[in-house]
Amino acid sequence: MIRLLVNGLRIHFIQLSRSSNDIVAMTLWPILYATLAYYLFGAHSNPRVLFSASLGATVMAIWGSVTTGSSGALDNQRRYGTLELLVAAPVPFMAVLAPITIATASIGIYALATTLLWGWLVFGIPVHLAHPLLFVVALPSAVIAIGMLGLLIATTIVVYRAANFLGNSLEYPGWLVTGLLVPVSVLPAWVQPISWVLAPTWGMRALRHAALGGSTLPDIGACLAVSLIYAGLALFSIRGLERLARRRATLALS
Amino acid sequence: MGLRRHRLKPARTAGLGLSALAAIEVESLSRSYRSGTGVVRRRRLLVEAVREIDLSIREGELFGLLGPNGAGKTTTIKVLTTLLLPSSGSAHVLGFDVAREAREVRRRIGYVFGGDRGLYDRLSAFDNLSYFADVYRVPLRSKRTRIDELIEMVGLKGRERERVETYSRGMRQRLHIARGLLHDPPVLFLDEPTIGLDPVGARDLRQTIASLKEAGKTILLTTHYMFEADALCDRIAVIAGGRIVATGTPAELKATVADRTIIEIDVYGASSALIDRLRDVDGVASVAVEAREQAQVILIQSSRGPELVQTLMRELDGATVGRVVSREPTLEDAYIELVGRA
Repeated sequence: MIRLLVNGLRIHFIQLSRSSNDIVAMTLWPILYATLAYYLFGAHSNPRVLFSASLGATVMAIWGSVTTGSSGALDNQRRYGTLELLVAAPVPFMAVLAPITIATASIGIYALATTLLWGWLVFGIPVHLAHPLLFVVALPSAVIAIGMLGLLIATTIVVYRAANFLGNSLEYPGWLVTGLLVPVSVLPAWVQPISWVLAPTWGMRALRHAALGGSTLPDIGACLAVSLIYAGLALFSIRGLERLARRRATLALS
Repeated sequence: MGLRRHRLKPARTAGLGLSALAAIEVESLSRSYRSGTGVVRRRRLLVEAVREIDLSIREGELFGLLGPNGAGKTTTIKVLTTLLLPSSGSAHVLGFDVAREAREVRRRIGYVFGGDRGLYDRLSAFDNLSYFADVYRVPLRSKRTRIDELIEMVGLKGRERERVETYSRGMRQRLHIARGLLHDPPVLFLDEPTIGLDPVGARDLRQTIASLKEAGKTILLTTHYMFEADALCDRIAVIAGGRIVATGTPAELKATVADRTIIEIDVYGASSALIDRLRDVDGVASVAVEAREQAQVILIQSSRGPELVQTLMRELDGATVGRVVSREPTLEDAYIELVGRA
C-alpha cells in the first residue's frame, strides 16, 4: 500500500508536471500575487512582511490548485479513460485517489520556487529561513494536509459529475477564510472555527513560523491532525460513494 | 448440435449455484439507466440497456459477444468488471458475485478496451505499467520481471521509455493488453480491442488474443468485426436491444442461414422506397444496406438462389447498378439475420 501511495504520487506528479497549462498556472499566478503584494505593502516595507506575502502567494496557489485541481483531476481521469480502470482495481479506491489529490497540491512546490526566486531577483526580498529544517517538514505537511482536503472534495466528484463547481467555488472564499489574505484574527468570530478546520490555515501558519520564526511544531501537528480527520471522513464516505457511482453509472464519460 | 436459443439455463453444480467449470455465470441480468430531458419540465427516462440475459462461459473459453451499437455489450462487460451494479439478476466471475464481492472479482480479472483512452499519455509505457502494477497489486519482487516480459510480449521492447503520446494507435492498444495482463488474471474482458487499428496492427493483436487463449485464459471479447469473431471465438452470443438473441459456435450461427444465398448489389443513389420494393420480392428473406464509399451495398438473403438476380434487377430498373455478386453466407450474414429478427 505504501508503494502504491509513493509511486502513485510520483506518477501523478510527473503527469501534472508535463502539463504546460498546469505549470504555467502554477508559476505565473503566484508571481502575479507576489508582485501585487509587493506594491500593496510598498517597496520599503519590512522584508519579512514581503517574504511572508510571498509565502502567502504560494499557499494561495496550492489551495487554488487543489480546489480546482481535485475536481479537475478526477475529470481528467475520466477523460483519460483511467477512472474506470482505477475503480476496477483490487485496492481501496482511496489509496488510488489520495496520491492524485496530494500530487495536485504538490505542484504548488513550483509556485514556491518561482515566487521566492522572483521576489529575490526582481524585488531583492531575501530568502532567509528562521528554521530551515522545520521548513523542510512544514512544506510537505502543508501540501499533504491541503491535498487530503482535496481528497475529501474529490470524493463527491466520483458521484456528482457536475460537482466541479463545488471545488472551483471554494477557491476565493478559502483564501479569505484561511488567513491567506488577512489574518484569521481579524475575521468575524463565527468564521474563525471554519478557519480552524481548514488545512490551508495550519499550512500557512506552519510555513510562516518556520520561515520567519515562531512555534512551528504545533502547526505541523495541526496539519497532521486535520489530514487524519480528512482521511477518516473520506474513508467513511468513499465506499458508499463508490457503490452509488456504480449504481448511477457516473464513472465513465458516457 | 443446432443453434442454442437463449433462455436455456446452465446445468448447476449442487450447492454451489454455479455451472461446472463456468468462469462467468450470468443469470437474468438486467441493467437500466435513468436519464432526464428538459430543464423546467424535466422528464425522467428509463433506458433498459440489458434485459434479463443469461450467459455461461466455461474456463479457458474465448467467448464473443456481438451486437450493434447500443445493444448492451459494453454494459454487460461493465457489470461483469464490477463498474456497474446490476439492476436485477446476478453475475458471478469465478464464483464471486460481481455486486457483493467486487474486490475478489477485481483481483481475478483484466479489463482492456479499444480506442485511445485508458493510459497516461505524458508518461512512458514503462511508467504506465509500473503504476498499474502497483494498482493491481503485483508483488514487488516480480514487478520488474513481469513488466519486462509483457513489454517483450506486446512488441514494445526498445520503445518502453518513450512517452505514450508518441505511440501509434496499435502500440497503445498493445500497451493496453500488457496493462490488462500485469496481474496475470485468469479472466480477461476485451471490449472492442481492435477498433480503429490498421489491418496489420489488428492482425497482430488477434494473434496476441489467440495466444492468450492458448495460455488458458478465459476471454470475453466484444467486437464489430465478424471475421475476427469467426476466427477467434469458441462460442458467440448475439445481443440486440439488450437481449441475447442467439448463442452458439460460429459454425452453428452460420448454419442458421446455410440454406440461403447472399446476393450483393452495389447501387448508387437508391431511395428507401426502392429498397422497400426489394423486401417485397417473393423469395427475399431479408434486405440490409451498407454504405461503402459512394455506393450503397444491398445485401439480400434469399432461399431461392442466384436465379432471383434477374427479378431483383427488374425491380432496380432505373437505378445505377454496379457490381452484382452471389455468394455463400458468412457469419456476418447470420449476424445480420439474427439482429434483424430481434
